[in-house]
Amino acid sequence: MPLTPPQLEALRALLDRLIPADEFPGALAAGTDQFILQLLIHACAAEAPAIAQSLTHLDAEASERHDQPFAALPTAAQDALISDLEQNRTATPWPATFPAAAFINRLIDLAAEGFYADPANGGNCDGASWRMIGYDPLLPARPSAP
Amino acid sequence: MSAADSTYDVIIVGAGLGGGIAAGVLAEAGQRVLLLERGRDLRYRDIPGDHLRHHRLSLYGDNTTHEPAGHPRVFVDPQGHSRTVFPHEADYHNNALTVGGGARIWGMQAWRFHPDDFRMSSRYGTPAGSSLADWPIAYSDLAPFYERAEHEVGVAGDHTTTDYAPRDRAFPLPPVPATPTGAWLARGAAKLGWNAFTPPLAVNTTPYLGRAACVQCRQCIGFACPTDARNGSHNTLLPRALASGRCTLITRAHVARVLTDASGRAHGVEYFAPTTPDSAQTERRIAHATTIILAGGAIETARLLLLSASPQHPRGLGNHSDHVGRHLQGHYYPVVSGLLPVGFQNPNLGPGVSIATTQFNHGNPGIIGGAMLANDFVKLPIIFWRSHLPPELPRWGSANKKAMRELYLRGIDLRGPVQEIPSPDSRVTLDPHVRDHFGLPVTRLSGTTHPETLRTAEFIRARAEDWLRAAGAERVWSSPMDLRLSASQHQAGTARLAADPRDGVTDPFGRVHGHDNLWITDGSLHVTNGGFNPALTIMALAFRAAAKIAATT
Repeated sequence: MPLTPPQLEALRALLDRLIPADEFPGALAAGTDQFILQLLIHACAAEAPAIAQSLTHLDAEASERHDQPFAALPTAAQDALISDLEQNRTATPWPATFPAAAFINRLIDLAAEGFYADPANGGNCDGASWRMIGYDPLLPARPSAP
Repeated sequence: MSAADSTYDVIIVGAGLGGGIAAGVLAEAGQRVLLLERGRDLRYRDIPGDHLRHHRLSLYGDNTTHEPAGHPRVFVDPQGHSRTVFPHEADYHNNALTVGGGARIWGMQAWRFHPDDFRMSSRYGTPAGSSLADWPIAYSDLAPFYERAEHEVGVAGDHTTTDYAPRDRAFPLPPVPATPTGAWLARGAAKLGWNAFTPPLAVNTTPYLGRAACVQCRQCIGFACPTDARNGSHNTLLPRALASGRCTLITRAHVARVLTDASGRAHGVEYFAPTTPDSAQTERRIAHATTIILAGGAIETARLLLLSASPQHPRGLGNHSDHVGRHLQGHYYPVVSGLLPVGFQNPNLGPGVSIATTQFNHGNPGIIGGAMLANDFVKLPIIFWRSHLPPELPRWGSANKKAMRELYLRGIDLRGPVQEIPSPDSRVTLDPHVRDHFGLPVTRLSGTTHPETLRTAEFIRARAEDWLRAAGAERVWSSPMDLRLSASQHQAGTARLAADPRDGVTDPFGRVHGHDNLWITDGSLHVTNGGFNPALTIMALAFRAAAKIAATT
């Protein structure tokens, strides 16, 4: 597991705001958190320490502003904090090598990759996002190609 | 014939479009062919339908490269910083690594070049700093071989409307069906007075040559075809070569050098191959032949010519006038996105490309060359999210998610392969430091296209915006393009054809100057790369070179 329990909690809370549930399932219901964890273990293992550290920074940032970890904040406060991170507006120090905006943009990309990619990648369970937007690959049930 | 029999009439390096076609023509002409392919002979099930790891979006790998770590390249950016890159990264300029090459996963657009694409310098002059030149052959020299490629590989099109270049025969397959978004574009073109028509695609719109028709799935470009309806050499000329009993295909074979004698004659190749077909162990082998053909694509063919330096040819084979590896080019692709009006929710079936114009390939005031413009393949959701949402939209949250479901089926876009103005400084060399799995110097890619390419690309981008607006798109947007190295899947130019050995690497048929039995049949030959997808031209040149070899050896 590349993340500590508090980091995982922050990640899940963040994903719940990046792609929230509405009348359609959001990132968490579609398994996008699991998709990201798998990437951090395998294809993006080199990135995992920086992302883990940034999730800790995210909690520090929330605590500095609201005396609570990110996951405990009301959604409006979470969204305001995410918007600030996009602009590198931070109340606590973030590493120059991976600033707040770089972190949040990377998580925005990862969330969308998982949520909108093929279900076999693990972040779009049962093709939830594809049903929502009206995409079906229409692959034949039995491929006839050699 | 067993692999241990190491003397052949012909050795071909690379089983992509050009190599597969040469193998078919020459094996059927009675020659014993050894076909060496670096990739595996991937089946449909071996090429995953992974939306994050395919040949249009390869974020964490791609679906044809099985051993990426051992074959890096070095990329030098326009500021002069170099870094090691791997196949799934954009700066690697990858092509599919498998028997069949890029055509296993291609978009199938099978265009003939425009007659004026062969005489760019005569028509436009040669801008300072560029290597823009005429081809040493004319459209009419290639026309019979374009026709052969269309019929023997299989191209679907409408000869009554595809009239920018003269042709003698109809296409063998009926054109791809119209699409809902194509109907909007057809109305837009009519409003503008532009000529628009169904583009030629190498796909079985009906059963052809013993294979099934396209089922119009919506996961096309970048993936293997579920019904084998996508045409290339892998399902036409290569099976014909193998059926002749005179072609031996060895996969996972990495050619290290072409062997030449003191006179410059090529007599064989040195290569690394698995000790048995599935083994992880490799061994060094030598094979000999009367004729050697290189068809590894513009990047690897140039690398192999450079790797084959000898005491008589210290700068590499064919490199007597310093053209090998230079003039590397691909296509700049301006992409323009738009949204059709609210209420348009009519999804296209695959492949999705259904309408094109050649209105702006030539004759654009103050501009050199131009591009064909066409609509695009059915968009994967993650590609739509990354590249086709309006730029002012929030990238996350409820607003972004809502936009995905409201806009996905309203999206429309156009793109076109801009004919590049080549630069001699855009090039393939050997890296002095980084070595591959076998200890050979890897490719080093450096330079950029000529700035004139940008002017043409910007002109084409504006015309694409005009077309989308005329088609009724409510909102149209695109981004300006940067000066950069361009090669990728349309890579070309690194061993250009030239009548005079001082002006290029190969003679007008593709034979390397100074090496009478060493030939090239891939995009390396292209002096310029046309304002069209280049695959049909690669095929036509391969048919032409192979016919010449069969007639003279």
